Amino acid sequence: MAHATQVGLQDATSPIMEELITFHDHALMIIFLICFLVLYALFLTLTTKLTNTNISDAQEMETVWTILPAIILVLIALPSLRILYMTDEVNDPSLTIKSIGHQWYWTYEYTDYGGLIFNSYMLPPLFLEPGDLRLLDVDNRVVLPIETPIRMMITSQDVLHSWAVPTLGLKTDAIPGRLNQTTFTATRPGVYYGQCSEICGANHSFMPIVLELIPLKIFEMGPVFTL
Amino acid sequence: MAAPPEPGEPEERKLLGFLDVENTPCARHSILYGSLGSVVAGFGHFLFTSRIRRSCDVGVGGFILVTLGCWFHCRYNYAKQRIQERIAREEIKKKILYEGTHLDPERKHNGSSSN
Repeated sequence: MAHATQVGLQDATSPIMEELITFHDHALMIIFLICFLVLYALFLTLTTKLTNTNISDAQEMETVWTILPAIILVLIALPSLRILYMTDEVNDPSLTIKSIGHQWYWTYEYTDYGGLIFNSYMLPPLFLEPGDLRLLDVDNRVVLPIETPIRMMITSQDVLHSWAVPTLGLKTDAIPGRLNQTTFTATRPGVYYGQCSEICGANHSFMPIVLELIPLKIFEMGPVFTL
Repeated sequence: MAAPPEPGEPEERKLLGFLDVENTPCARHSILYGSLGSVVAGFGHFLFTSRIRRSCDVGVGGFILVTLGCWFHCRYNYAKQRIQERIAREEIKKKILYEGTHLDPERKHNGSSSN
């Protein structure tokens, strides 16, 4: 989860998020260099003694400042498109989970092996145990195996919601009457948090998502299905 | 990147307020080489031409080009290294999982080399 005052991305828990972090570093370096150049140009503008106001011809400079941004945009667009198409790949998922957004909780359905359906409500502050996270912990977590391609089918029962888990690089809108699909493969076990990411009413900030990722061997033993 | 910096870890140092040089792979290396390139190019130009303003422009241009060049070179090698690490990790896992069975990669390799 994010720590207080965190501005950067969370550590990656899926290969897609690793790629996104790499792309983010790449784009940020280009942005840094452009900012540096602009600051330098600003400094020159503020300190120049040249006062000719009738300059009208600057063909070479205009050519450079047209072509150079185009090259920069291509340098940013190519890795971006690569990751975009990578996120759309569907790698034969082993497990399909349905996630349904409500005001203001999530319902999860494990229908591949039996008919497990449960709601996931945020723990009210009065019900928190020591060590629990305020506004993030829920009564029933989504338990999933690691190193297994998983498909999430996301929809909503009432208004727009969005199912987001930053550390997995996931954010998918939950739209009433529409079924959206996202796939992921988690690379390490742990408990990962997310929050609803589409304004959905008074308690929009109070319907978090908690994934508990466990080794496949333990998942197969059936802790999820003994509820 | 996710947790606040532990006592042993390098502190966050952000250039222009947003580029985290310490925790972004290759960033510190690229910026340092870029600075060196900038000084060499700018100072070298000044030595030959004695034009201060133009030398500063050359210095800034040198910084941008050298930083970009080092950045792409370092990130390319970093990506190659990550792929090799991933392959090595998978092979070690396979070796542990299948050792002694008919799927043992070493047995397959020895079998094909003896044939």
